[in-house]
Amino acid sequence: MSGIQPPYKILVVDDEPDLQPLVQQRMRRYVRSGQYQFTFAQNGVEALECLRQDDEIVIVLSDINMPKMDGLALLDQIPKVNPNIRSVIISAYGDMKNIRTAMNRGAFDFVTKPVDFDDLKLTIDRTLQQLLEWRDALGARDRLVALQNELNVASQMQQSILPKSFPEGSDFEIYASMKPARSVGGDFFDVMRLEGGVLGLAVADVSDKGVPAALFMMSSRTLLKGSAIGLGNPSEVLAEVNNLLCEDNETAMFVTLIYAVYDPSTRMLTFANGGHNTPVLIDGDGNATRLPLTGGVALGLVPDLEYEQMSVTLSPGDHVILYTDGVTEAMNEAEEEFGMDRLEGLFSQSRPDEARAVNDVIFDAVMDFAGDAPQSDDITCMTLRAEG
Amino acid sequence: MELSSENTGGAVIVKAVGRVDGANARDFHEGLEASIGADGESMVLDFEGLSYISSAGLRVVLLVAKTLQQQRAKLAVCSLSDSIREVFEISGFDKIVPVYADTGDAMSGLGV
Repeated sequence: MSGIQPPYKILVVDDEPDLQPLVQQRMRRYVRSGQYQFTFAQNGVEALECLRQDDEIVIVLSDINMPKMDGLALLDQIPKVNPNIRSVIISAYGDMKNIRTAMNRGAFDFVTKPVDFDDLKLTIDRTLQQLLEWRDALGARDRLVALQNELNVASQMQQSILPKSFPEGSDFEIYASMKPARSVGGDFFDVMRLEGGVLGLAVADVSDKGVPAALFMMSSRTLLKGSAIGLGNPSEVLAEVNNLLCEDNETAMFVTLIYAVYDPSTRMLTFANGGHNTPVLIDGDGNATRLPLTGGVALGLVPDLEYEQMSVTLSPGDHVILYTDGVTEAMNEAEEEFGMDRLEGLFSQSRPDEARAVNDVIFDAVMDFAGDAPQSDDITCMTLRAEG
Repeated sequence: MELSSENTGGAVIVKAVGRVDGANARDFHEGLEASIGADGESMVLDFEGLSYISSAGLRVVLLVAKTLQQQRAKLAVCSLSDSIREVFEISGFDKIVPVYADTGDAMSGLGV
């Protein structure tokens, strides 16, 4: 929508008294039909005054030679009052020098004296058309900016719920990070300190992108945190979060989520999987093992599901990697996926001894692999290191 | 991503070829909704030519299943490549939408 409607207001600027009655007479039927509305000024100074008082004027039709302020000087001043006005110059026939100057100063078109009113009508209509298209484009740009702002809000929401620091202890290390894709995605992770020195670890991926996905992510994370603190047991936590997310979920959004509880004193990791990628265990020699898929369904789709949980006892020096499909499905320019095999083979030669360093190796490998290919999904990776 | 559909008496078979991701999930949704047949007519999604489906695409599959359910019809998928089968298995979608080896199996599985 251009936001401007007929009658289109046109300001005619000329010091000679005969143009005004001519315009009024020859354009009478367009004025009567509500297409145009004319206002008149004697010189540039008066014209600017009219423009200041009436911001609905869309076209200025101006003579060049006038007292006080001529048409060329007026052209310089118009954009300062209203940058969206189009100007049409009326010049003497063959006065190419002034016409060229006028065009260089931003006039949209010109007509010559004696004024041919059929030609003037065509010129006005062409000018109006260009102006309407221009205003449409401006409107589209504004809407795009508004949309971008909305996406920025969603992106900030996503960033704001991620932990900024991680629990520390003598018997474990934890590190996680996320690299968001350009369009707002739905990955998140969380690390919670639960009762008895136990840690709650979550990595999740919300279906779809944009503001609705970000809102779904916020509620998933809040529900997860509430359930984790209240229940503890991963299979119960997933069952409860799933039921809560299923309520009023008409849009069929869902979240895949791995939730694990780690007790550093026993080195026991208990996890349940809601439709998410299986964690990978890297042992002290750098060998990788995929933890079993416990067969749970993504959360938010079907209520009253049961989620199986499984426990593994880690050895000192083991690292467990929780990640989203942004890692394994990262694509290079040849459209190959990074894949599980690359992830599992990363540490076969050497493996750092810190959770953060291991996590960084994975990120660096994914980035190196992707090269200049655009990142289409959020990349999230969390590393837990067990200590003796 | 290309969609083509044919009606083979009792069920609509929709072939999806290419990739479905966040960028074209909306087109995928509109295409599938447009292919929905008469009331009670089930749909089979033939994914033989599908190379990739993101979570946004899975969500569309579920939305279409819901729409069909309201019309007392069913949705099935068939002919999944290994990587797409893995996506269905990991996400648990194979427990929500029935997966068949090919269109023939899907048709008989739907009782069409």
